[in-house]
Amino acid sequence: MSDHVLTAKSLTSEHRTRRRIVNWVVEGVATLAALTAVALLLIVVGSVAKRGLGAINLDFFTKTPSLLGFDVASSGIANAIVGTFVIVGLAVSMALPIGILAAIYLNEFAPRRVQSVMTVAFDVLNGVPAIVVGIFVFVFIVSGHGQAAWKGSFALAILMLPLVTRSTQEVLALVPSSMREASLALGAPRWRTTLSVVLPMAVGGIITGATLATARVAGETAPLLFTSALAGNAVSWQPDEPLSSIPMFIFTSAEQADPALQEQAWGAALVLIAFVLVASMVARAFGLRSRRRLTGGR
Amino acid sequence: MNLRRSAIVVVLVALVATAVTVTAGARSQGTLSGAGATFPAPLIAVWQQEYKRDQVNYNAIGSGGGISAITNRTVDFGASDAPLTPDQFSACKGCIQLPWVLSATSVMYNLDGVKNAIHLNGRAIADIFMGNITNWNDARIRRLNPGVNFPDRRITPVYRSDGSGTTYNFTDYLTSVSPSFKSRVGGPNTTVNWPAGVGARGSSGVAGVISRTEGAIGYADIAYALKNHIKFAAVQNKSGKWATPGLRSIKAASLADKKFSKTNELSIVNPPKGKKFLRAYPISTYSYVLLPLKTSKAAQLKAFVTWAVTTGQRFGPKLIFQPVPSYVLARAKSQLTRVKS
Amino acid sequence: MASVSETVVDPAAATLRRRGRFSPGDAFLYGITLAAALSALVLLVLLARELIADAWPAVQEFGLGFVTSRTWDPSTDVYGAATFLFGTALTSFAALLLAAPLSIAIALFLTELAPRWLRGPVGTLVEMLAAVPSVVLGLWGILVMGPWIVEHVGPFLHRTLGWTPFFKTEPATGPSMLSAILILTIMMVPIISSICRELFLNVPRELREGALALGATRWEVVRGVIFPYARAGVAAALILGLGRAIGEAIAVTQVIGNNEAITWNLFDPGDTLASRIASLYVGATTKLQISSLVYLALILLAFSLVVNLLARVIINRVAARHQVSA
Repeated sequence: MSDHVLTAKSLTSEHRTRRRIVNWVVEGVATLAALTAVALLLIVVGSVAKRGLGAINLDFFTKTPSLLGFDVASSGIANAIVGTFVIVGLAVSMALPIGILAAIYLNEFAPRRVQSVMTVAFDVLNGVPAIVVGIFVFVFIVSGHGQAAWKGSFALAILMLPLVTRSTQEVLALVPSSMREASLALGAPRWRTTLSVVLPMAVGGIITGATLATARVAGETAPLLFTSALAGNAVSWQPDEPLSSIPMFIFTSAEQADPALQEQAWGAALVLIAFVLVASMVARAFGLRSRRRLTGGR
Repeated sequence: MNLRRSAIVVVLVALVATAVTVTAGARSQGTLSGAGATFPAPLIAVWQQEYKRDQVNYNAIGSGGGISAITNRTVDFGASDAPLTPDQFSACKGCIQLPWVLSATSVMYNLDGVKNAIHLNGRAIADIFMGNITNWNDARIRRLNPGVNFPDRRITPVYRSDGSGTTYNFTDYLTSVSPSFKSRVGGPNTTVNWPAGVGARGSSGVAGVISRTEGAIGYADIAYALKNHIKFAAVQNKSGKWATPGLRSIKAASLADKKFSKTNELSIVNPPKGKKFLRAYPISTYSYVLLPLKTSKAAQLKAFVTWAVTTGQRFGPKLIFQPVPSYVLARAKSQLTRVKS
Repeated sequence: MASVSETVVDPAAATLRRRGRFSPGDAFLYGITLAAALSALVLLVLLARELIADAWPAVQEFGLGFVTSRTWDPSTDVYGAATFLFGTALTSFAALLLAAPLSIAIALFLTELAPRWLRGPVGTLVEMLAAVPSVVLGLWGILVMGPWIVEHVGPFLHRTLGWTPFFKTEPATGPSMLSAILILTIMMVPIISSICRELFLNVPRELREGALALGATRWEVVRGVIFPYARAGVAAALILGLGRAIGEAIAVTQVIGNNEAITWNLFDPGDTLASRIASLYVGATTKLQISSLVYLALILLAFSLVVNLLARVIINRVAARHQVSA
């Protein structure tokens, strides 16, 4: 310990009262800080709930948006909900297999040096801002070819990939090596060991990681700005045309002057937050349970 | 063999899902997708409901966005209040622009306790947007409005942060009435370097910021001011009269240019002094539809644009879109024959 | 376990397989997983190549002077990044200044100072703050926080701190640098505090318990044991939080006002690199304007790479040191 705070001299009872007061003050400040953060969360979620609840009705989920504020009362975000479902669904189907396979390589096959270099690459990819990913995908496959929902999914998949890889890697590392060794000792080849022994044990953690990553990208707007923004008003499931999405709806409706449209923006935000928060909490709880099962009991 | 069975199930499910997705909606032939200016968007919104032959999708992303979308052929038609420059024409590789909507840019303001239609001339507006006039009770504003009690309130200019044809129209006007605006800020252009104020996206965004900010002043098509109950100024035209955006003042302004340029451009900003233009509102403008000359949807586009400049104009007056004059209609019809599939 | 018993095979066949080191199944798995693992590298290379290619016209036209030029003038087609670099720096560092003490205090609360039954729930709530999408925070910023600043917080700050260059004028609009700073702070806090929480939990128990045995108060344990031990890790956490703020485009562009002026007055609107890209890219009309925006994206990418690698270097050095001294 390098600090001189804890010398025998400073811990004498002469200063005990003063030290107790300082301790008490600091504990108060830290509590205040934590309360501030919790309060902020409650304020934001509370605002969204309070202002968005008024927009939530059956029409909201089944009708399509009003055209520039005409007829807002019987309009909704059906196309945005469907669009988000398609875009995020495709993103998961792109990122999940690659992420799992990459994690398998990093954890099961890679020599230590290679593993650390590649992990750096994934971490760097994780740090690339979403807007830069959006510009990249635009320049790469949209410019000159047109927008499409799957191109938006591709951008979201790039954002998901490092998250899925890292969380899968962590879970795979938790699988006891004794399991692998037992399987290999029985004569099973590496690939069989991985698929039939290691993966099934890690499934819980993999699902958790995938759900958290999905919740994260479901709310991303920047990658969709240039890849799937020019969408029609009608409900569509076509991945090869630009589809509406809930984040884009919120983004465009947020700035309107019409209070009715603003209310719809809040409503869409409520739907989005509800999905993201519930998915995150469920995933975390599930993840804790499966992790405990892996490391704790058998 | 658990693994094999689950693999088979997964593959089957994937196949079924793909089949359903592919068949569930073969791309409907009857859709026209467009993107561009927010200026005509209120009228296009009505057209989307009234035009029965095809389904028209329109994304109001600003004139700049419309120009780039049609250039990239991301949409079937574009819309822009700013006429294409020669560079943009060549980048577009065979596009045509046609005026299809006629309206005016209002100068909207949010100021409590002050009546609608206060007098602001070109110089004052230019000074406000250059940041030379910073308070509503400035002498230069009071001088134009004797008898009006202006509060001590900071002016917040609100401009378009995205590529906007309304900005083009507004700066077209300001550069013609204020040489210092032209040298300091530049224009006419869809984006300029605004020295003061706050940026907002789209005409709706401008209306939004203005309605939330006491003392704000900005520019957008008159339909946005009316729809959001925002006050707008009376602007002095070259004949010395004070005009507000309205059907008659827009019609008077449209008389300023009846001669189409080679690219079908009509410039009616700041009409000259004259008996014809006594009522003219000086910040009026046409807005253009941008079409590719060669497109697989030629027939549908031609039908839509023809409908828009004839029947579609009927829905304009309620939103202060003055129906286009007959020579614009004639020009559209003859130019549309150039669009082929 | 059921899955293990399934892989029990005929011993003779097993002997045969053990002779060759890699069965074709192994080679196949090795191949596709290696390809997947290389995907990150491939994507990074593609990203860099595409961005550089599209920014090239602007790079050729303006060179490195782009970074120091304050002009962003579409009328004359002359562009420069200095204004947005300033905006990015000001908003991110100011947000860091606010977020750092808040996050560290929260992490301390959650690891040392809170009663054990409170740590779980409060920790979860703080992490939920990270899950709020940025577009929702931006919406809240425009319609709730902005007006609140103009009506209440702003005048207070102007009255008390109006003598500083930061609060010189009366607050006039919701969209402002201050709004952006506050939103960024809210985004950074959960990230920094969750990393710090991990760090503080990893301080070896013997060190902590030793200090407590000597009679130190909780705060003295923090000051004398935890902070020195976790110092470098906390620095890495702050840097990662900064990286998040630098790259945030959506929430910032919703609340910052999109004005191109260099100003220290926080009530004025401004703009950042990410926000400018988001607001202009769709409507950029000249080729040079488009490639200038991609040039901005390139600068942003460079920043985030530097930030990430810096944090990594610190973390690695910390990990090495702690392994040696353990």
